[in-house]
Amino acid sequence: MALTDDMIAMLSAGVAHQVGGCTNAGRPVVCRGLAAQHEAGRLLVILSSESGFEVLDAIRQNGNIALNITLPENYRSMSFVGNDAIVRGSGAAWRPLVTERHEAFRQQLNRFGFKPEYTDAWYHARDQDLVAVRFTPMLARNQTPGPGTGNSITLKPIEFEK
Amino acid sequence: MSAVFDDGLSLFGVRRMMEGVVPPVLCTASADRVPNVSYLSLCEYVDPLHIALSYQFFNRSRENVLATRRAALTLDDPYTGAGVTLQLEYLRTETEGPVFERLRAKLMGVASHVGMDKVFRLRGADIYRVTEMRRVPGRKEFPAAAPRVDLAANSRLLSERMAHCEDLSELLDTLLGGLSDLLRIDHAMVWLTDASQQALTLLASRGYEVGGAGAEISVGEGLVGTAVREGVPVRVGHMMNMATYARAVRDSAGESGLTAMLKSEIPLPGLKEPRSQLAVPLRARGRVLGALFVESLHDQYFGYDDEDALMLLGGQFAVAMSLMQPPEQEPPAQAAARPAAPVTAGPALRLKRFGRDNSVFLDDVYLIRGVAGAILWKLVSEFLRSGRREFTNRELRLAPELRLPDVQDNLEVRLLLLQRRLAEQHVPIQLEKAGRGRMRLNVDGTVIMESEA
Repeated sequence: MALTDDMIAMLSAGVAHQVGGCTNAGRPVVCRGLAAQHEAGRLLVILSSESGFEVLDAIRQNGNIALNITLPENYRSMSFVGNDAIVRGSGAAWRPLVTERHEAFRQQLNRFGFKPEYTDAWYHARDQDLVAVRFTPMLARNQTPGPGTGNSITLKPIEFEK
Repeated sequence: MSAVFDDGLSLFGVRRMMEGVVPPVLCTASADRVPNVSYLSLCEYVDPLHIALSYQFFNRSRENVLATRRAALTLDDPYTGAGVTLQLEYLRTETEGPVFERLRAKLMGVASHVGMDKVFRLRGADIYRVTEMRRVPGRKEFPAAAPRVDLAANSRLLSERMAHCEDLSELLDTLLGGLSDLLRIDHAMVWLTDASQQALTLLASRGYEVGGAGAEISVGEGLVGTAVREGVPVRVGHMMNMATYARAVRDSAGESGLTAMLKSEIPLPGLKEPRSQLAVPLRARGRVLGALFVESLHDQYFGYDDEDALMLLGGQFAVAMSLMQPPEQEPPAQAAARPAAPVTAGPALRLKRFGRDNSVFLDDVYLIRGVAGAILWKLVSEFLRSGRREFTNRELRLAPELRLPDVQDNLEVRLLLLQRRLAEQHVPIQLEKAGRGRMRLNVDGTVIMESEA
């Protein structure tokens, strides 16, 4: 399944990223993500290997992943779930994307009175610690707070080029 | 099974991360290890090994927790950018008791501001054992700002000042003045429960354009009403954040067909754009007598330490208030031994009372109601009948028509409320102290009294 245009637009709107996994032993794990973008039906998520080591380990074990994105200005929140996540690629190549997402997120939180130091703290990662995770979203869930939290929302079929 | 915490970490030490400035993130997984990540409304410290999480809706997270009894939680420090990750074991859901009430009060305090108290219903407090707590590695932390005052030392100074007060008016002014001078809390209100325990009346405020003495709200309304109803402090440190969160739930509820349960948003009292608010109950003799409410234009202005300090100061104020009965004065006959005043000079003043709630209007402008309204009516009636201007508290306490609810409903408080309300309204009927346990009525006009059932 693929993301809708609306979902793709949300990825660059200044969202907070939270990435969850679960080890084969059943231990749920979660960390902040640094960036996400859509890549031809798949999702790319950038994590810090330092703060996200547990999540990366869990993904390596079974490929299960949940990426939550939340827009602070209205708490609109959704998550994408996959079971084919792979950890591949790291380094400074991801810095421009992380910087772009960081800046958009900073602007979002600035409206709420958060100083730049907060997002700087959360986004602090060395270039060599930037790690890419890619997965196919099999399922999307509404995570906006309220009674419908956790309900499935519709993705669109992947359209292959002819 | 023992808990594993990183060196120097304790649940008590990370209490401030549970305030919701940065919402906690919960990760659960289904039995087949499919993760789910969502934000939480509230997280509450229970004891050194346990926390409580709000259970409002049955959703994917809850389904997972009931299936596996495991969860991971991240908390962010709103002061330093630090973070911790917790591993949790679900134990039980409580639907009553102190932890549940604290969570419910916090939830209701926020929800009632945006008319969400029907949808923001707390179904339970999920109690978790914390099996592990680790620092989030790699964070670029920044130093926390210095505290605005030495809260403990300055609270002690204020407490000492209050201990020297000899009457309620002085006590009230000392409390509100000291909050500003010593604790740098510039916007404060003291609310009192009425005899029925259904409503709250504003006794005094400081730091606002309008004093508002005599204003009323319902018990359960807003942070103040919630603090009184539940008997616990309620604090919101990041109003804009919480309001946005609440509106997201409101919109989500609307999509779920729950809008019929919603009511209009209640405008925030006091500051037009408060960023932090705290209401603490005023407790004495096993009763909640009212609430002390403070607010600020700054985010995260009040922390746990402020909550602790105001609970202590508010408790001292409440006990002093409930004990401040002046010595009994001479009987009414002696008090009346003053020359009768002319009662038919100056402009006409139409004083009207509605007997069902003792509400009193002067020239169709609402003045006061309840016990304070009944007192005003009695004083003016007696003035017109006998020309007497001076009255003792004792004769009011013994007056059957006032129907004072019980001995704990301090007459002094009602008199002070009436006095301040009249003064703030600048009406031609004023009340002033005329010595201990005695007051003087000043009327500048010719009063015409009307009464309706």
